[in-house]
Amino acid sequence: MVGLATSFGSGAMTNSIAELEEADVLLITGSNTTETHPQIGRNILRAVDRGAKLLVIDPRRTDIARQAHIHLALRPGTDIALINAMMRVILDENLADDLFISMRTENFIQLRDYLHRLDLAELAAITEIDINTIREAACIYARSSKSVICYCLGVTQHTCGTDNVQAVANLAMLTGNVEKKHSGVDPLRGQNNVQGACDMAALPAVLPGYQSLEDMSIRARFEAVWQRPLPENAGKSLTEMTHAGKDGPIRAMFIMGENPALSDPHLHRVEETLEQLDFLAVSDIFLTATAKLAHVVFPAASFAEKGGTITNSERRVQLCRRAIPPIHDCRPDSEIIMELGRRMGCPGMDFDSDAEIMEEISLLTPIYGGMHYDRLAENHGLQWPCPDRSHPGTEFLHKYYFARGKGQFTITRHQEPYEKAAEKYPFTLVTGRGSYHHYHTATMTRNSRRLVREYPQAKLEIHKDDCRRLNIADGEMVELHSKRGIVRISAQITDRVKPGTVFSSFHFFEVPINQLTVSAMDPKSKCPEFKVCSAAIKKVNHD
Amino acid sequence: MNKTFIPARAIIREIIRENDQISTFRLELIDKTKPFSFLPGQFLMVSVPHCGEAAISISSSPDALPLIDLSIRRAGELTTAIHSMEKGARLGLRGPFGKAFPVEKFSGRDLLFVAGGIGLAPLKSVIDHCLFQSGLDDDAVSGIRLLYGSRSPSDIAFTGTIGLWREQGIDVRLTVDEKDEHWTDHVGLVTELLEDITLDSNSISLICGPPVMIRSVIAKLTEMGCDDTNIFTTLERHMKCGMGLCGHCHLDGRLVCLDGPVFSVSELNTMDVMELSR
Amino acid sequence: MIDLKELILPKDNLIPLLRKLSKDARLVAPVKNDHGDTLFTAISDLDTTEIDLANQPQASLKPFFLPQQETLAHYQISGDTYQFTAPKAAEDTIFFGVRSCDLTALLYMDLIFSKPAKDTSYYDRRSHSLIITLGCNQPFANCFCEATNSGPYLEYGYGLQFIDLGDRYYVSAGRGKGADLLKKWGYFFCEVQEEDQRIRYQLFLEARGQFNRNIQLAHACHKLQKEEVPEEIWEQLAERCYDCGGCAYVCPTCTCFSVDDKPQSRDSGIRVRSWDACTSGGFTRMAGGHNPVDRSRHALKRRFLHKLKYDFASHGKASCTGCGRCVDICFGGVDITRFIDLLTRQENP
Repeated sequence: MVGLATSFGSGAMTNSIAELEEADVLLITGSNTTETHPQIGRNILRAVDRGAKLLVIDPRRTDIARQAHIHLALRPGTDIALINAMMRVILDENLADDLFISMRTENFIQLRDYLHRLDLAELAAITEIDINTIREAACIYARSSKSVICYCLGVTQHTCGTDNVQAVANLAMLTGNVEKKHSGVDPLRGQNNVQGACDMAALPAVLPGYQSLEDMSIRARFEAVWQRPLPENAGKSLTEMTHAGKDGPIRAMFIMGENPALSDPHLHRVEETLEQLDFLAVSDIFLTATAKLAHVVFPAASFAEKGGTITNSERRVQLCRRAIPPIHDCRPDSEIIMELGRRMGCPGMDFDSDAEIMEEISLLTPIYGGMHYDRLAENHGLQWPCPDRSHPGTEFLHKYYFARGKGQFTITRHQEPYEKAAEKYPFTLVTGRGSYHHYHTATMTRNSRRLVREYPQAKLEIHKDDCRRLNIADGEMVELHSKRGIVRISAQITDRVKPGTVFSSFHFFEVPINQLTVSAMDPKSKCPEFKVCSAAIKKVNHD
Repeated sequence: MNKTFIPARAIIREIIRENDQISTFRLELIDKTKPFSFLPGQFLMVSVPHCGEAAISISSSPDALPLIDLSIRRAGELTTAIHSMEKGARLGLRGPFGKAFPVEKFSGRDLLFVAGGIGLAPLKSVIDHCLFQSGLDDDAVSGIRLLYGSRSPSDIAFTGTIGLWREQGIDVRLTVDEKDEHWTDHVGLVTELLEDITLDSNSISLICGPPVMIRSVIAKLTEMGCDDTNIFTTLERHMKCGMGLCGHCHLDGRLVCLDGPVFSVSELNTMDVMELSR
Repeated sequence: MIDLKELILPKDNLIPLLRKLSKDARLVAPVKNDHGDTLFTAISDLDTTEIDLANQPQASLKPFFLPQQETLAHYQISGDTYQFTAPKAAEDTIFFGVRSCDLTALLYMDLIFSKPAKDTSYYDRRSHSLIITLGCNQPFANCFCEATNSGPYLEYGYGLQFIDLGDRYYVSAGRGKGADLLKKWGYFFCEVQEEDQRIRYQLFLEARGQFNRNIQLAHACHKLQKEEVPEEIWEQLAERCYDCGGCAYVCPTCTCFSVDDKPQSRDSGIRVRSWDACTSGGFTRMAGGHNPVDRSRHALKRRFLHKLKYDFASHGKASCTGCGRCVDICFGGVDITRFIDLLTRQENP
């Protein structure tokens, strides 16, 4: 978010999903797209079937990496070194788009000088990828004028996540592969409506539509509509809140549809924080691990029991229709918020319909200005920015000029992950989505008998050489240790990870993998480093 | 034969503990108005309250009707639930399903049974049936031998039955993978027991056990010159209906619930079968 | 006396006829819903519901005969009872606007659910049904029923077959209920003229020439009888199968199912049959964890061989009806047409 916003002026996917199908080169980094975003994966595969080249950057040999023409299996946490190396190759091979750079960007000279000072062989060594492979991938990417980059949490969930994103943005600008159809930089959102949540300012430092909290005229407008003064300072990020600790400044929390007691890093610390609150209220459709800690739980309505909109990765605001009335005492989120608001004496909490809520959003949020329910119902939604009723929505961003004016090159330097594999913890643990079958902390998917049948328990992917060395059989329960905790997990012998790296998911509450992960986070985005920590594997003594 | 989805009611008359993991549940159908018969090798779909159904082969002889034995190893949710049931509890039964062992061809033949673990259950039905027949008719079977492999001495199931069989003249040879201090018999794979066995062209072999055992025993018997039309095995598959509809037990164009579970090796040789490949 | 096997129905008489038919039975026809999806829908009011014959229904007739979820039995447990009872019987239903491929699929399902065991709940619904088809003058984007020999028009199997001649339908009656219907409601129809027959034949010929795709299905079936599929093809397909089960669920001839108990209270529950997919790993996994199918290599082997090899061998006809729905739904682009293309490429039969 922050990274792309700094480079381009907007943190959203620049293309439309359908454009991917027509691209000639697709560079996928830190995303197992076919498992986590199967609909987008399908567009990518169609492009490949059409003859497009697929480049995948991922430490694991994921399903999509298997389809790649070149799989750049980097050492976890060395994305910047790899992208810098690719950019250096592009400069050396004279493949930079000089015209685009001069017309549309700034700060290039500094980056160019920095790249020229780097040693390619050294960068390749950092990433543990053969230099010729990097060279080939860089040339394929740069030679096409229809190159797209898709990235996901494999790029952002690092202590250098913001820099990773800026490195990716640099690469796109260097080759002029942005600001037009079929080329751009596309962050794939981790959840169905994470884009919408960000758009609506479920972020610490902005107002809806990414409007500045510091702009007095904007503040005044919100205060006029909401009839309440706004806070003057930015709030706290998620991890800052859930990791505030025992005597932290936060005394009460209201958590909606989130399960930090399982999904946040360094869980012991999260538990400690939540348990010592004076008051915790949770709203969710199931009694999650977090809800179990709450003083008050609001039973929320599921997707089928409520209306509203969902904004997907391609900035498309889509209308949802209620299929069935809420079961028992469940209520839609909007009703829960309004009822709370009313009881707390907040004015204006009397919307009669979802459409009326959208009217206020349109009024206060320029990028949603023309998104009224009747228009959303007619089309398959609209893509922002859509400033007024007559606007057709925006297929791809940054046409004519970047949202921030000129695209900004930023020097990004390789930095080692927070925690390094050491003698006592020789493995690098990478975490992420484990499969197509489970979603997030599996509070929903584990209620499906079929999904549970297909993926019944947590697995730790270990390379077969490591298994042989440690005498671990397929399916054997092992102990996974880090400095912060221990979990027991079933080993899965695989060639998806390289020797020395292990992978697991955070879907299963019985195997709270985030007890092991580090809470170190990116200083700018505040996103924790879920993707790298050091771990040790021990056999469990049976009998 | 009950070819619907509505199970008949049955009651557990007796539970015989065979080892830590295996017990035999002796059942009787409650509704006697509908005739019930089966042949050795056939199986039933067994319903357990709130747990659904599983395919389980009958381990007793048809001659023991109206009592029906199911010998069950604790493996998943449903079998664990059965193990927690007591005498007098109710189950649902559908069936019998599947192709049986061709017992009508066994008259006057020399029979070799090779089993591993719970694999003895369906063969037990055949052995008891043959013993019953030979009591009626001296030519029923000319000789019965059983080779039985278990993981360890404490894992040997059906010890009571094996004792009775020995008393009736069956040549039973046991082997274990891992011995304990009291074990004086053979240690090793069940195929090793075949070394001391002589077979003639008249012999019929019946095998049941884990896939890897089935594979190696078939290989050994073939090597010993056994005709593959005289070797039979019974396969285990996940099943949801038992009557050729649900598709779960597919096996290279056939369905184990209809075309099996009993197959001759000559049939299996024409198919792509996990128990024979890999 | 007019021949009751073939008649002409002026289009103006369609709704009046359907109105009569819907008095004695539930009427199901393709309807476009508020979300723009065309689906077979039970119609209670013909005046407010518009039948959509321009688009291919997204789902086949399968859900009406083999529902996605179906209660096979209710069970009661208490003290010393553990008893099952069968659910209620089906109602009379007339299906209108069914495409040739979907009826062919239903005829295949009749086979599957009659031998060796007769599936009583399927047959209950089937015997209460009458199918009125609409021949396709213009195939839809992914269709290939010409290759599967299940369209665009049919020779048999229907109650009535409608062919659109512009301002009128050419109606043919099948045996039994269809012919009875024509007899009963004969006054809506008029006689077939020679001109009508000429137009019908011409439309049929033109329809056959309008398929976007040339699928070598028959060639693939024959090839499969003779030779093994190269292992690389299975692996290549399995790598792009993400276990969503979509192909099996939309397929009008995929009938594999699962049966599970769903407790409704401490002492009662329902036994539910639900669609399953042989492409899933858990489909064949046994209670102890052992699996006779290696999904990582053979995820799609059973599915394609069943349709193109085994069914071809036992029924003389593949059990793919060319409806093209799986082509549309597959995330990985590894639908049956991809398999046939891989199998038959480099050769022109």
